[in-house]
Amino acid sequence: MLNHTDKGVIEVKTVLDNNKNNLPMKKKISSFHSIKRDSLLYLLLLLPLAYIIIFKYAPIYGVLMAFQDYNIFEGISGSEWVGLDVFNFIFHQNSFYRALINTLALNFLDLVAGFPAPIILAILLNELRYVRLKKLTQTILYLPHFLSWVIIGGMVYLMFSSGGMANSVLSSLGLGNIEFLSQKTNWLIMYVGVGVWQSVGWGTILYLASIVGINKDLYEASDMDGCSRLRKIWHITLPGIKPTIIMLLILQIGRMISIGFDRPFVMGNSLVSEYSDVISTYVYRIGIGSGDFSQATAVGLFQSIVGLILLVAANFIAKKIGEHGIW
Amino acid sequence: MKSKIMMVLLPVLALLAGTLAGCGSDTTKESQSTSSTTSTSKTEATSSDSPVTLTVEVFDRGIQGQPDLNNNTWTRYINDNFGKQNNAIVKFVPVPRSQEVDKLNVLMAAGEAPDISFTYDSATVSRYSSMNGIMQLDDLLDNNGKDLTNYLGEKVLSYGAFDGKQMAIPAKRTSLAWIGMFIRKDWLDKLGMPIPTTRDELYNTLIAFRDKNPGGVDGVIPWGVAATGMNYGYGNLIDSFWGKQSEEEFVTTPGWLKPGNKDAFKFLNKLYNEKLISPDFALDKTAKQADADVTNGKVGFFSANWDYPLRQNISEPLKANVPSANFVPIDTFKNDEGKYKKIAYNENGVSLFIPKSSKNAELAIKYLNWMSDPKVLFFLQYGQEGVNHKMVNGIPQVINQTGDNMQTSYLNLDYTLVVNGVELGDPQKNIKALAASAPGLEAVAEQSYKINTTDTYTGFFFDTPNKSNIKFGKTLGDMNNQMTDKLIVCKPSEFDSLYDKLVAEYMAAGGKAVMDENVKIYKDMQANKKQ
Repeated sequence: MLNHTDKGVIEVKTVLDNNKNNLPMKKKISSFHSIKRDSLLYLLLLLPLAYIIIFKYAPIYGVLMAFQDYNIFEGISGSEWVGLDVFNFIFHQNSFYRALINTLALNFLDLVAGFPAPIILAILLNELRYVRLKKLTQTILYLPHFLSWVIIGGMVYLMFSSGGMANSVLSSLGLGNIEFLSQKTNWLIMYVGVGVWQSVGWGTILYLASIVGINKDLYEASDMDGCSRLRKIWHITLPGIKPTIIMLLILQIGRMISIGFDRPFVMGNSLVSEYSDVISTYVYRIGIGSGDFSQATAVGLFQSIVGLILLVAANFIAKKIGEHGIW
Repeated sequence: MKSKIMMVLLPVLALLAGTLAGCGSDTTKESQSTSSTTSTSKTEATSSDSPVTLTVEVFDRGIQGQPDLNNNTWTRYINDNFGKQNNAIVKFVPVPRSQEVDKLNVLMAAGEAPDISFTYDSATVSRYSSMNGIMQLDDLLDNNGKDLTNYLGEKVLSYGAFDGKQMAIPAKRTSLAWIGMFIRKDWLDKLGMPIPTTRDELYNTLIAFRDKNPGGVDGVIPWGVAATGMNYGYGNLIDSFWGKQSEEEFVTTPGWLKPGNKDAFKFLNKLYNEKLISPDFALDKTAKQADADVTNGKVGFFSANWDYPLRQNISEPLKANVPSANFVPIDTFKNDEGKYKKIAYNENGVSLFIPKSSKNAELAIKYLNWMSDPKVLFFLQYGQEGVNHKMVNGIPQVINQTGDNMQTSYLNLDYTLVVNGVELGDPQKNIKALAASAPGLEAVAEQSYKINTTDTYTGFFFDTPNKSNIKFGKTLGDMNNQMTDKLIVCKPSEFDSLYDKLVAEYMAAGGKAVMDENVKIYKDMQANKKQ
């Protein structure tokens, strides 16, 4: 008790003493207090912060490998520095350009086919009147998101290989066999289609959340005006979720250059390697397969830089056309 | 305002802490590597106190029903007979068979590779050697490996020497056959056809298989293959198209540039387009489909390792599914000289090495030295009489076991690191025992071994690491597999242009660099020989 009152007195004193420039002083005390008051929250924050630092910032140290003739036994401190030689080597490799172009092409196709799909689906789900059916549909649509690509790859192989289900059905209908997975264009369609199937349900979550946030009055007003359903979607729902769409689009464009490893690796095969060899599989082959960590790191660094440029550019354009960017 | 500063300050501080932690871990790694040289002599001193753990790599082949790779009849024998005497615990570190090199790279980079590591990929050994990441073994072998050196002999050991230094210990390979070709004799009999002895005869046989479906199966596959790179292949078909070359040309050029190579692929392309080869083989990246097709009796002819149909995972399901199925070995790809030229193994098997990070180098060599004792090898390969083998005419015959006694690889290949193949101390006996390892299929085994050690040549051994091969080897290997599949599957009308295009790409992607360096090393070797 004594301590407590003592402290209180001192605090009052300090504020009074520094009356003239009390603004910063008061701030200091309040920030200290706010940290003390929310100390538990800050403690909680430490956890994700530690995650980001350990797994996202700390590995940045390893980027140094891109500028070294990295020797796995000597480590970064013991390896020889070679400047930009590694980049020079990579930029003279045809297979690197192929991987780069494929990455951009596959991601672009994913964007074209995969980006509008969850928006349309979210709007459709939103129009469902019967709530339990809506919930059920949503759950079923989420499921593929939780399947590993290895499993999906196996399913695709079983269903679409030449002796698979799809071809059995086709040939029993007298339509003949289609090489779904070994012919390049067909493979592309399969790759994109399976990707949409896997991610579309999960992608609706954010859109559904932002649809819920749209002011209900608007819908009621439009009902009064005799709006049709399509009109309501066009004039209320879509503009209502436009900021979300733009934000997700920017993020997606920022990811244009990076591509997951499992999907192209599992779905690809030697006959379609012209399309299925992407940066992540290239890095895997060079880095893990050949043990050339310098090259793999250099490619990774290049990828990050291009990704950053794309992200900043997309954000800039979004702001220019009068939308909120992501910063 | 201030709280915002805190928000910024906090991550920055934590970031600093993170980088410091990073530095910390780096220094410990360094101290580890410096201490490794001094600690090698420590093993003897510690014999009275707590046991040393010797780590040894082992392949995890993912065999159905396999025992714990660290606790089974074989590991217990090793620990009881070697571990106890040397106050050591031998611990096995499983590495998935299909990711052999990938996993090893990661373990080596992390400084966590087992004391005894191994790979079948000699380019990987020369890479580690040139990076100075593995121990030179000359002195260690002199001091602790007398029996081992005697057992392996100079010739075998020479395959582990790079730039004159013993960097790896190659296992002795006792059976030198590599590939084999097998055909369903029961199908031939049904059709009244003889065993094919040339390409054209095989072609006609395959057509008959396709059209007459002698097995009466749904979806007959005259020639079963999988994506190139896994078990299944084309035997010595490609070799049989190759024209004459000088030794220098033959050992330094990649297959793609050999005369006749294009015709070989054209022939395969024809077979594929006439539906004589597994339709979706290129999608079968794990060879699981091909195995299933063979064991379900849909396949008439295939080529894989010389002992493939003898292997338990093929022979047993096949016998259960199609009791009448009878695969016999054949030699059918005759070249212009009338020879069935085919590749066989050199006398070396897997390459063993000790990473620089190892603290138990001496113990590791002692372990291998202990293992080269015939008694030890015999137990590890054949186990106990009455349980794991029975003696027939003085030749041990394996009794296949499940569970604890199961061998996850042929004659415990993955545990008996110093030898690859039967080791009874006598080549004649070895072949007999080899045949006996497949109960009921002895004749097939003996015949297959005989066929596939006739007219053979072996891979040329370059005594200097090829730097280009280290750099491009893996990429070229992958390209090789992809090119093979693509050329076989493409439309016949596109074949010629595709072949030229792919080969040009291959040469540009490092093929030429590897070839040029091969030529240089070869010339140096010849020059040294003359001196």
